[in-house]
Amino acid sequence: MIDVTIDSASQDATQAVGSALGPIVTPGDVVILSGDLGAGKTQLTKGLATGLGVSEPVTSPTFNILLVHQGRLPLYHFDLYRIDTAGQLEDLDYWGMLEADGVSVVEWGDRFAEAVPQECVVVTIHVVDDESRSLVLSGRGVRGEELAAAWARACAGLIGVSVSFGASS
Amino acid sequence: MSMLLLALDTATEVTSVGLARVEGDGVDLLGSEVVDAHRAALSRVLPMAAAMLSSAGLTVGDLDGVVVGRGPGSFTGVRIGVASAKGLAQGLGVPLWAVGTLDAIAQGFADRDVTLAVVGDAMRGEVFPTLFRCGGGRVVRLGEDHVSKPQPAALEWAELNTPLLLAGNGLRKYASVFLDALEGNADVAQEASWVPSPGGLIAAWIAARDADELGDGVAGTVLPLYTRVSDAEENADACTRAEPMRSPAPTAGTTTPDAAPDVVSGGGLQ
Repeated sequence: MIDVTIDSASQDATQAVGSALGPIVTPGDVVILSGDLGAGKTQLTKGLATGLGVSEPVTSPTFNILLVHQGRLPLYHFDLYRIDTAGQLEDLDYWGMLEADGVSVVEWGDRFAEAVPQECVVVTIHVVDDESRSLVLSGRGVRGEELAAAWARACAGLIGVSVSFGASS
Repeated sequence: MSMLLLALDTATEVTSVGLARVEGDGVDLLGSEVVDAHRAALSRVLPMAAAMLSSAGLTVGDLDGVVVGRGPGSFTGVRIGVASAKGLAQGLGVPLWAVGTLDAIAQGFADRDVTLAVVGDAMRGEVFPTLFRCGGGRVVRLGEDHVSKPQPAALEWAELNTPLLLAGNGLRKYASVFLDALEGNADVAQEASWVPSPGGLIAAWIAARDADELGDGVAGTVLPLYTRVSDAEENADACTRAEPMRSPAPTAGTTTPDAAPDVVSGGGLQ
């Protein structure tokens, strides 16, 4: 399993990390986001949306549970905060969407073991201080590891971002 | 007496709609459309049916019945197809009959002398593996619908030592698993034949009619074939019955008067 730590100095830098993922995702890719309220899960997703060429505003789908944005690929933006049991995921067609034609980002995806597919990148966002964050990328499965590594490479050189390979701090 | 039937299936990533006049074994396919409708079945299926009726110079009022593919397939896809068909049949006051989605796929091979191995995509790393014996215009189902991991299903088929023709949308992800296990004793059918065609749905209806397995045609008793119970149904089951899990589903085309949907047994059940 590949672990990469990406340190972000600001909200803008966190968005830039998300944006760097835009050009390298392919249909069926899944990013599971975990982190406290305010950690920056939605900021990271906003960046990804920008990187995918989504022009409309991206907001947290806490109440909608799922918001779909059309970019280079469809962006399926889930927030499982209000989901009570894993069984409700089937009612959402959760796995159908994950395996469809777009890229899925799942906020609070770590709440249910069933919600984490075999192939994905799990991003755990740690709050360092008001502005800076530490993002730990963990690639699961062949594609997940490949995507995590490619994402980390794409982040190298971004302003306010530093990338280190290895276990989380 | 001829019957005008509308057939639809949205259990897979395609939306399949057909209009046919059936008299005995004779089928006049007046319209047949299979479109790739990833996540768009709901917005496509009824407009497709309406356009098909209108280009045939007919209206919904001319329909004598509706045939729907009941799955197994994608949870939401099955739900959309069966709910649309139920609403249509109930509103028109015409019979609704369900046929198996995999049976409709198999009907596409009725004239080929093959043992057909259909691998439907159950998602979450699982498949719906079912064998059919085809040939001479007939299709015989060799097993019940169920959920399995690809590898055990492939190994089970390999033990049969019979040449198989593989079809089904599960091959998009797992063709190599099956081909490796079957060690050259298998071919893969053309991809266009992996999904239920309108003609296949009508042929499955005729086969079920001839086998006296159509059921009563009452829309309210037609049941979708889900892969796994949904949370709401699980809760409802827990409230209404001592044993929440259902026994294996009846063979395709049959209906039972239970209030809850059928569930395919297998690894997906928790």
